Amino acid sequence: MKFHWFHLMPYPYLPDDFKEKYHSVWVDPPAAELYDPVKGHQVYNDYLDQLEYAEQCGFDGICVNEHHQNGYGLMPSPNLMAASLARRTSKAKLVVLGNSVALYDPPTRVAEEMAMLDVMSGGRLVAGFPVGTAMDTAYCYGANPATLRDKYREGVELIVRAWNERRPFAFNGKYTQLRYVNPWPTPIQTPRPPVWIPGGGSVETWEWCIKNDFLYAYLTYFGYMAGTSVIDGYWETVERLGAEPNPYRAGFLQFVGVADTDAEAERLYAEPAQYFYNRCFHVDPGFAAPPGYSSIATIRKGVHSQVRQSAQQVQGKLLSWKDIVDRGCVVTGSPATVIDRLNDMADRMKVGHVLLLLHFGNMSHETTLYNTTRFARDVMPKLRHRFSEWEDKWWPKDTLPEIQRPAPINIAAE
Amino acid sequence: MFARETVTLPRDRKVQVYRAGQGPALVWLHGPHGIRKNDPVITELAKRYAVVAPLAPGFHDVDELDEVRDVHDLALHYDDLFEVMGLEDVSLVGHSFGGMTAAEIAAHVPRRVRRLTLLSPFGLWRDDHPVADLFARPYMALDNILWKDGAPAGPMADPANFPNDPVEKTVGIVQGFTAVAKFVWPIPDKGLRRRLHRISADTLVVFGADDAFVPALYADEFASAIQGARKAIVADAGHMVPYEKTADVLRLIDQQHDARVRAA
Repeated sequence: MKFHWFHLMPYPYLPDDFKEKYHSVWVDPPAAELYDPVKGHQVYNDYLDQLEYAEQCGFDGICVNEHHQNGYGLMPSPNLMAASLARRTSKAKLVVLGNSVALYDPPTRVAEEMAMLDVMSGGRLVAGFPVGTAMDTAYCYGANPATLRDKYREGVELIVRAWNERRPFAFNGKYTQLRYVNPWPTPIQTPRPPVWIPGGGSVETWEWCIKNDFLYAYLTYFGYMAGTSVIDGYWETVERLGAEPNPYRAGFLQFVGVADTDAEAERLYAEPAQYFYNRCFHVDPGFAAPPGYSSIATIRKGVHSQVRQSAQQVQGKLLSWKDIVDRGCVVTGSPATVIDRLNDMADRMKVGHVLLLLHFGNMSHETTLYNTTRFARDVMPKLRHRFSEWEDKWWPKDTLPEIQRPAPINIAAE
Repeated sequence: MFARETVTLPRDRKVQVYRAGQGPALVWLHGPHGIRKNDPVITELAKRYAVVAPLAPGFHDVDELDEVRDVHDLALHYDDLFEVMGLEDVSLVGHSFGGMTAAEIAAHVPRRVRRLTLLSPFGLWRDDHPVADLFARPYMALDNILWKDGAPAGPMADPANFPNDPVEKTVGIVQGFTAVAKFVWPIPDKGLRRRLHRISADTLVVFGADDAFVPALYADEFASAIQGARKAIVADAGHMVPYEKTADVLRLIDQQHDARVRAA
């Protein structure tokens, strides 16, 4: 099993009465009223320190993602964060989860920036391509939901083709026309970095990932017990298409809080968890399901967009710590409890890549470092052996050309 | 009950067309609800006209939208349809999305349309009086903005052509709204203002005085940009004015489209 330290970068200073007073945490929460850039300076630097610390603790990957006009996701550009991390880390893989391809015209911009990250980091990039949530795409960026998925697919195909083909070509697409596709630089990883597709539970997405050899990651904020049925659907599709049931072709997101005892877990993690579920997750349902965003086939399957589903689950309710733990949203407790639960997750889901949210809500810097340390020291080593019989084909290889890191300039010596 | 036929356009595109009634031909372009069985406005129109009511691309099957990429394609789609059906000098009435479509057809192919009624059309934009965002609210909450009193009238309250299946009901609504969204997202202004001067049809613009979706002052925006157009504001009605004030709207349509009424 591989473990990745994922940051959502929430803004931790939303007011106590946020849910009553504001329409939505996403799309239209008034930025100038709610966001303080001076506090934001400290927040960004703490968050980047936490991601860098995760490398020191031995996490396999450090993850960033893209959201817009969002009180719980301060990364409109994940590539800027990854660029900073590329310079300050040397071992952890950079999992950019990712760039919402349909928002970039032309999408070759994404091919360029991701190749820059791969080259800067010495071949450590994982290239994530989400469709993007309805809020990010349709409402914040004005993307037409009726054509979003089609445009997204075309964009991903263009990017992958730009990396695979080693010579310039013309691209006459439905949404993008380019006479000369020839992005510089090319990635270090050949022919391309591993591609990960974070998605909700749509059948078309599963089939597309499997056919193109992309990893499928199911990102839900409601924990592995609720997420198992979706992952089951993915594995059924893998079997139906005759693909290898390799656990490393799947990823899953889980909130975790490690402590000495259940009581300590509650003391440390109850407030940040409630901050996340009760403030950060206050998304107006009107923004969750624009027409065309979910395909008719997906609606017929009764699987709605994960955010819409999630928004309905918490809409109008205030979740207690007990609700959050009982629903399995946060796996928490002593190391033995957490190991037990994550083994259960591995048994049920057979997912090789675990994306961990060890920071959530308004968790303090100190608590975050504590949780990260405890997980790395007391939990991770006990789960490493899971799925070791499988080869991970969706991860940067360490058999890259020797990368010479530039020596630091020593000004004092001159 | 309306008769339904499938009309085939060049390049094997299919259009579902409903027909009802006898009299002078009148083309009805529906709003965001599509065409429901027992649609009360079509039922009333059919007492005086041979109503031809095509279903807009995407309402029957979202894949139809692949071939119709923007408002220009949409206008030419209807020109193709009228050509195949032999409809010249068309008497055209459109409601809401259908009103916008009707205006686009009359602007793209002015000689095709002789008489035109736009019922609460959208397609224009004023920063100081924005059109409400129909797509930023749950489907269940749409009635509050479309109907003056928040509740659908008559058969429109009970979409009888949806089976008693919540999933199929959702599919029906989503298909229609996907089709509308495709042509107006995220702001329903795709350059119609630059084309309205091309309309040569005798035009009437009708709004409900209390339209909470497209404010009634847009009647002036349309009427002032179309040569010789007139406007009528119907009191105590919202965006669904033809369904909320059916008798009033039918009287206006008769005055605009029925030579027998105009001669009297």
